[in-house]
Amino acid sequence: MIDPITLQQGTDWRAQAEVFDEIFFVFLTLGTVIGIIVVSYTLWNVYKYRDDGSEPDEDFDAPVVGELPTGQGGPKAKKLFLSFGLSAIVVISLVVYAYGLLLYVEDGPDTGAEGDIEITVEGYQFGWEYFYPNGHSEMNELVVPADQRIDLKITSRDVWHNFGSSELRIKSDAIPGETSETWFTVSSEEVEEQGGEATYLVECFELCGSGHSAMKGQITVLPEDEWEEWYADTDGDSENANSSSIEGDLANPSVTGSAVGGVSA
Amino acid sequence: MSELPPTTSVRRWLVTTNHKDIGILYLITALFFLLFGGVLALLIRVQLWDPANQVLSGLAYNEAVTAHGLIMVFWFLSPFGFGFANYFVPLQIGADDLAFPRLNALSYWMYLFSGVLLGISFFQGGTLSAGWTMYAPLNVPMYTPSIGSTGAVMALAMFVIGVTASTVNFLTSIHHSRAEGMGIMDMPMFTWSMLATVWMMLFAFAALLAVGLILAADRVLGSVYFSATEGGSLLWGHLFWFFGHPEVYIVFFPALGAMLELFQTFSGRRLVGRKWVIIAICLISVQSFLVWMHHMFLTTINLEIKTLMMATTIGISLPFDLVVFSLIYTLMKGRIQFTTPFLFAFGALLLFIVGGITGVFLGAIVLDYEFRGTYWVVAHFHYVMFGGATALFGAAYYWFPKMTGKMYDEFLGKLHFVLFFIGFNAVYASMFLGWETPRRVFEYNPAFQLFHQIGTIGAFLLGFSFFIMFYNFLKSFVSGPDAGENPWDYSRTAEWAVPSPPPLENWPNRPSYASGKLEFVKDYVPDGGPAVKADENGNAATDGGDSHADHIHEYAYWDKHPSHASIWPLALSLATGIMFLGLSGFNDSISIGVADSLATTPVTISNPVYPALTVIGLLGLVYSGVKWGFEDFYAPPAEFAERWPFNGVEKVKLGMWFFLASDVIVFGAFISAAVFIRYNAGWREWAPLTDSLPGLINTFVLLTSSFTVILALVAAHRKSRTGLLASLGTTIALGLTFLAIKMWEWHHEIYDVGVTIAENSHGDPIQASIYYVTTGLHGVHVVGGLLIAGFLFYRAWHGAYLEDERPVEYFGLYWHFVDIVWVFLFPLFYLF
Repeated sequence: MIDPITLQQGTDWRAQAEVFDEIFFVFLTLGTVIGIIVVSYTLWNVYKYRDDGSEPDEDFDAPVVGELPTGQGGPKAKKLFLSFGLSAIVVISLVVYAYGLLLYVEDGPDTGAEGDIEITVEGYQFGWEYFYPNGHSEMNELVVPADQRIDLKITSRDVWHNFGSSELRIKSDAIPGETSETWFTVSSEEVEEQGGEATYLVECFELCGSGHSAMKGQITVLPEDEWEEWYADTDGDSENANSSSIEGDLANPSVTGSAVGGVSA
Repeated sequence: MSELPPTTSVRRWLVTTNHKDIGILYLITALFFLLFGGVLALLIRVQLWDPANQVLSGLAYNEAVTAHGLIMVFWFLSPFGFGFANYFVPLQIGADDLAFPRLNALSYWMYLFSGVLLGISFFQGGTLSAGWTMYAPLNVPMYTPSIGSTGAVMALAMFVIGVTASTVNFLTSIHHSRAEGMGIMDMPMFTWSMLATVWMMLFAFAALLAVGLILAADRVLGSVYFSATEGGSLLWGHLFWFFGHPEVYIVFFPALGAMLELFQTFSGRRLVGRKWVIIAICLISVQSFLVWMHHMFLTTINLEIKTLMMATTIGISLPFDLVVFSLIYTLMKGRIQFTTPFLFAFGALLLFIVGGITGVFLGAIVLDYEFRGTYWVVAHFHYVMFGGATALFGAAYYWFPKMTGKMYDEFLGKLHFVLFFIGFNAVYASMFLGWETPRRVFEYNPAFQLFHQIGTIGAFLLGFSFFIMFYNFLKSFVSGPDAGENPWDYSRTAEWAVPSPPPLENWPNRPSYASGKLEFVKDYVPDGGPAVKADENGNAATDGGDSHADHIHEYAYWDKHPSHASIWPLALSLATGIMFLGLSGFNDSISIGVADSLATTPVTISNPVYPALTVIGLLGLVYSGVKWGFEDFYAPPAEFAERWPFNGVEKVKLGMWFFLASDVIVFGAFISAAVFIRYNAGWREWAPLTDSLPGLINTFVLLTSSFTVILALVAAHRKSRTGLLASLGTTIALGLTFLAIKMWEWHHEIYDVGVTIAENSHGDPIQASIYYVTTGLHGVHVVGGLLIAGFLFYRAWHGAYLEDERPVEYFGLYWHFVDIVWVFLFPLFYLF
């Protein structure tokens, strides 16, 4: 099992996608192997003990109509418990292993002095609106810097949505009156690989009405300096940020103490 | 009571209360809904052929997805299993019929007409489009405004009412009517699975009934539960999944029972570790209520609860492991016959193994986060639920000879299986490959198009394979070879010991397992006296061994023949259907203006059809209910039966206890909803809406009425007609007093204070909704109780209950329950 502590080194941050891919690989491999063993064993036995028309053995104790059931225990029951015990060990150890990584995913990497950026995502029929710490809001395109931990606070202004990006392996429910959280980070290497601007598809994963199928958005990741330039320019339209229909505690996107680390424009 | 016409008469099928007839009706109706849901599935698959081309609009696609889910889960899977249960549970336990035959017919007709309502909802401006999970607040009229959406909700509510009746019936039957000598551990595995199923249903469907009633209130009466931002969405999630997870096992267990039965019959082996399998089944039934939040890992529930739910989820997979291994080991050293039923049962096991392994993935929360809302989930639950149902098709072939007396065509059966199995895996395995596609999305990533096209081809193959089955069954029914009493070499259970199809009252003589195996014994019935139990040689024994025989004299109708026909279940269900249809459009047809009092309130009816239907349905409901009550219908109790753990509890009383247990959950859900919302709104933010005085007076009124019901029972026991009438009359008067005070209080709130079901001038509107809906549900229970009390009073006036006071006692149980509920509601709404 990988110790979550070792994951919390700034440069070695593991994106949720990496964690997911690792667990998925382990589960898929074990699941396939166990599935093949169990199914083959079963098929082989079913073939072996087929009724091929030969005379029944002397000791074949055929059931008769109207008998009360027996066979509550017997030698096969031992085998039953052996198989049961083995499968229980596999299942429980898999889940304990996965649980260790869950704790990492829940907390996210430690940002230390770097700070993180907290963005409120608000789902609506049918799109997403993003509120930045400076009050700026964007419709449908989330623009964020590379190498930073991005914290998302997700809610909805009408029905239940689910904000998710398959490529980044992030997902969270957007529920009216509730705020859920998730986080992600994209490395600058990844941004460079995609040609200086990495983009990821955002989809809605909870049925939310007639436009659910088309409720798509995009996450755009820029190199840190380019993003800071972009972000500085957004200050001008911060007055418009609250023009949407949001009410209550959503009206002022929160700016946490460390939220603007590295963003001093 | 009327005579039961022959099976060739249409009337027979309208009036029958016989469990075998109703089983057949269930099976045929369920297969019709399989076609209905299947056509919707094919529409979905056509839409998915190409992410760019659309056959259906976005809304129509959502309707197809929703109706497909609702129909398959509620109107196909469960009723298909219950068709077999209706037919074979009484046969397997050695009973003549279910405990309450008319109630059984009522359940069926409720099921049928609720399905008709769902069909009608498509033509009421489009059916519900919120998914079968109906997540809030998409399920409220603001977002799904069509009348048909309300129609679908009313259909579901009606379905659940029928299910509740059915659940009580099966629980009472299995716990009350097992043949002598058949202990609870001796029951055949199909019956065991059904017993676990109905125990889960008793509580799970009560939660669904509650959440359905609240949703109906939101849609018809205008309450604001699920649109409340004070936790309304999460409330739906919790209540729905508290039902929804047990529901998975509720639809799977009948299929599991069929698997357990068929594996034994076609291998000639007895189940390995039978006792442990039964224990595993019981464990699963209990654990199923402790895992629901694993459907909500991505909501805002905290890590501690997620961890707990992860542990319980993994915990519930372990008993299933044991059951699967037991099935596999049962086959070993057997003489396996690859008949069609076995192929389907065995195929079901293989599919379930795939479903089970992919389910462990979902138990790991990190993986679940990503699988949520994707085709991984869709594929997984189809492998589990539809994979399980595969065994039910096996059961159809297995029991077809018993139900019809004819043998099906083995070649066509095997062909059906091969096409089914290939088609099944093409549809659902391809979903695993393209799992990143979001659920209920048709404009998907073109990278997955190949997988979805394979799925579409598989779906049509799968659909086609069923026509082979229908053809096979029809042809064999008309011209198949005679099957005889027992066409299988290694069958064990009692249904194979009687002719195919079995006679109306099932048995040649009383079935008994007292000697360790099934025998038919002839009891000696002296003129006008109780039956005397026969000994092993068939002679009348002088000392009745079963203590229950002592109670026999309490049944007044000695020489009566059991009844098998009644039109009132059909009439009652039809009336309910009409009323619910009316209610679905009620809100859109009537507008109520603002005024100072009820008398001056302007009511505008824009469309008289729906209000008229509501009134007609309600009148029909009361009329057929009264006719039902007065009908002379005799369902004999099983005279010598195994009843553990309910020895000595009379049949109707047992049924009443089961019903009240489910009603506890209904009220529990309503009260939980009130507490949950208030907690989310801030507990101390709310003060009682109303004065505590009327509530306090009403508390005393109700408690006094509980006392007078006891007096009524005492009077009946002492054969005092006057005393009985006086105390029943006082009870009714007190009940009416309660309602009058309630009405005054509501009138005062609405017209003087300005607090209505949707508006609250003093605080959150949801607080007003909770107050009206919860106390309203209690009020409906009081009204129902008063109707029964009025019926009892009328009968007592004509001299009833002096010989047999039990109806008064059972009414008392209900009435005390209603009073106890009030004791919980009073502090919640009037004091704090």
